[in-house]
Amino acid sequence: MPDLTILQRAVADVSRQIRVRRAEFYGLRGLFGGAVVALLPLVLRDSLGWTGFLWAGVCLAAGALAGAVAGFLMPLAAGEAARLADRGYSLQDRVATALEWADRPDRTPLVEALVTDAVARVQAMTGRRIIPRRIPREARFVPVPLALGIALVLAPAIPLPQGALSNLSGARQDDEEKPPERAGSLESQERPQAAKREDVRRAEVQERTFGPRAGAGGATQPGDISAVFKDTSLAGQTPDFNAFLKKGDDRIRMLEQIDRLPDLQRDFTQSQQRMIFQKAKALRGGLKGDQFSPDKLRELMREMERLGRKGDPGYQGDLGEGMEALEQGQSDRAMEAMERALNKLRAMEEKGRDGKGLRGGREDERRGARRGERGPGGAPGDEGDWPEGEGSLPGKGKNPNRKGDPSQRLNTNPFDVGVEGQARSGRKDGMDTNLVGRGGNVPSRLQYMGVLGQYRKQMEEDIVREQVPRDYHGQVKDYFKALDEK
Amino acid sequence: MPQFPTPPQTQEQRVQEFVADFQTLRGEVRKVIVGHDDVITHVLIGLFAGGHVLLEGVPGLGKTLLIKTLSESLDLSFSRIQFTPDLMPGDIMGTNIILEDEEGRKHFQFQRGPIFAHILLADEVNRATPKTQSALLEGMQEGAVTISGTAHPLPQPFFVLATQNPIEMEGTYPLPEAQLDRFLFKLRVQYPALEDLTEIIDRTTQVREVSVQRVMTGPRALALRELVREVPIASHVRDLAALIVLASHPQWERAPEQTRRFVRYGASPRGAQALVLGAKVRALSEGRYNVSVEDLRAMALPALRHRIILNFEGEAEGVDVDRLIANIIEAAENLSVTEKEVFLR
Repeated sequence: MPDLTILQRAVADVSRQIRVRRAEFYGLRGLFGGAVVALLPLVLRDSLGWTGFLWAGVCLAAGALAGAVAGFLMPLAAGEAARLADRGYSLQDRVATALEWADRPDRTPLVEALVTDAVARVQAMTGRRIIPRRIPREARFVPVPLALGIALVLAPAIPLPQGALSNLSGARQDDEEKPPERAGSLESQERPQAAKREDVRRAEVQERTFGPRAGAGGATQPGDISAVFKDTSLAGQTPDFNAFLKKGDDRIRMLEQIDRLPDLQRDFTQSQQRMIFQKAKALRGGLKGDQFSPDKLRELMREMERLGRKGDPGYQGDLGEGMEALEQGQSDRAMEAMERALNKLRAMEEKGRDGKGLRGGREDERRGARRGERGPGGAPGDEGDWPEGEGSLPGKGKNPNRKGDPSQRLNTNPFDVGVEGQARSGRKDGMDTNLVGRGGNVPSRLQYMGVLGQYRKQMEEDIVREQVPRDYHGQVKDYFKALDEK
Repeated sequence: MPQFPTPPQTQEQRVQEFVADFQTLRGEVRKVIVGHDDVITHVLIGLFAGGHVLLEGVPGLGKTLLIKTLSESLDLSFSRIQFTPDLMPGDIMGTNIILEDEEGRKHFQFQRGPIFAHILLADEVNRATPKTQSALLEGMQEGAVTISGTAHPLPQPFFVLATQNPIEMEGTYPLPEAQLDRFLFKLRVQYPALEDLTEIIDRTTQVREVSVQRVMTGPRALALRELVREVPIASHVRDLAALIVLASHPQWERAPEQTRRFVRYGASPRGAQALVLGAKVRALSEGRYNVSVEDLRAMALPALRHRIILNFEGEAEGVDVDRLIANIIEAAENLSVTEKEVFLR
């Protein structure tokens, strides 16, 4: 086995390089620390005298020395040094492997060749420095405490306060107003008592309504935004968000009352009759005749009367009777009269539906006519298309023919169908927007006449403001005129 | 210090002979194969490390030719199996057939299959069914096949070189991860460079006789495998190999971010074995007596790329496993020195 001394010497050399570099590195760190500490005796130079300079120098040197010594003496494993030697000399881990395996009992014959090879390669190398110098981060800041120290040396000594330290608490106005003879002596000065401050009162846990603030700071002008931010009685209180979360605001509480929630899906373009129904229903609301407001009942009856002028529902008499009873203070009688009027109104509504070809419709009318021919003694359940016991199957109908009764549609006019968007017999109200196509199936969301009035007004304003091109003025006016004719 | 019976000169000679044999074998293969130096070197490293090698590449790059040339360079028996979906395990391992002797008595005799060869070329191994693949992979792992309750040892050295095509996936049965782990290396055969391609054209379109000589016997190959096991490895190099394998596991608490994000399963302990064994062969092939960190870096890709399974995110992001392994190596090297003092890093 070749002598390992050469390898060990090479590793020792690398170890020494590492220690030197460590001493430099940690010495610089210590220098920085010492420089910072050295500022203290310079600050206290007034009391320390010339020894302040001495202490500062000692701190500086001691810091650097302590760092260097600590760095030099830091533990270093031989294996690590061997690894760094391999890396530094590009020996591909030969030295570390050879030193590690040379003394192992399970070494293989190849280890001997490895040691020989490693020794030969190490001998052929020149002893160069392979451990690079590293500068610690603190070294860049060493000039800062040094410059401060020089400034302190050149500046006059800082006088230290004699006796007890002055009161560093916040000066109050009443302290400043004290007579000078009382504030002159530090020993006799009374320690100012801090004014007892009012405890911050926690806002009560209660339901609060956050409405717009009503200008507690005085009269405010409209549009005075700053008034919103003016102090109010609530400003002195700590905001209590817990109460808000606990109790919730009006919107959250409203969610719990389902019957009070507005029906956002309601079709506001329903017929006026239906609106009358709904108003009547809301008016009654489970109350007896003497419990609801006579004014509302009167308002409702006037609405119905106005509605009845368009057609001839036949409830004008009932309404007149109701109004008369209301004048006499007989609410129950007025209510009964209104119920009768509503029933007639409902009947008119049903009749209007028939005109739309919904349930019933023309077929029902025809069937009614046939029923009339047959007389009032028609079989019960004759309202449907196929009364019980009848059908198109052979033997099911009353007709002795094999195929039963002929179809009711045989002699009808094939063109007798309503054209969508065309006026038909039935109710007519102001909400029909006469839409055709796909939009015709969707009920309008706005009241036709009201919206039309708004648009017309807007049109006139736009024309005045010259927002509509001059060439189109006539066209736009013609368009709205055509809408009026409809 | 104890003295060894063999003089140091003998050890150096053994290593020099290894280097010479390695170079000669590589030279013989390079007579036929143009380019692919890394692939040839890694195949030979796999041969001397005692493992099996999977070659992956598009058709026409010379994978099969490389293996055939290698078999011609070695004085060893060679079999080639073209894997197809209808190939059965018996077609590989052999089967018992009924024979009748002169006296009219009938008896079973085992008819050996093509697996009984020193060098086995499993061409397009992913085209056979998993059942047939398992039969081959059992032989690769155990060095023997069991038929009708009788174990039949395979000849040594037994070296399987399998090929697979990464692009034609229709009608294929990709090898499961557990079976991929049986391969020591997975090599990617890349498309040749311009000068290599012109050389291929010249060699294959002109009248030129290329004769490959048998330069190594089976016992010699086995002896070289023994030498590989003697190569020492320093503890810090061995630790780095372990760190590299561990850093490929997303569950490991010190795994790098890339591993945690893109890897589903990391490399198995077989990966660490392949890494170190490959590094030892590489060191010997360069005439060195020890494993270095550079050897580990060089062998990490072929030893680990088929053992690291990407997760869904990794697949979706199209993460390249080779790049991921490079990241893992870097992270492992940082991990090995992170806790050390500034001058020891």
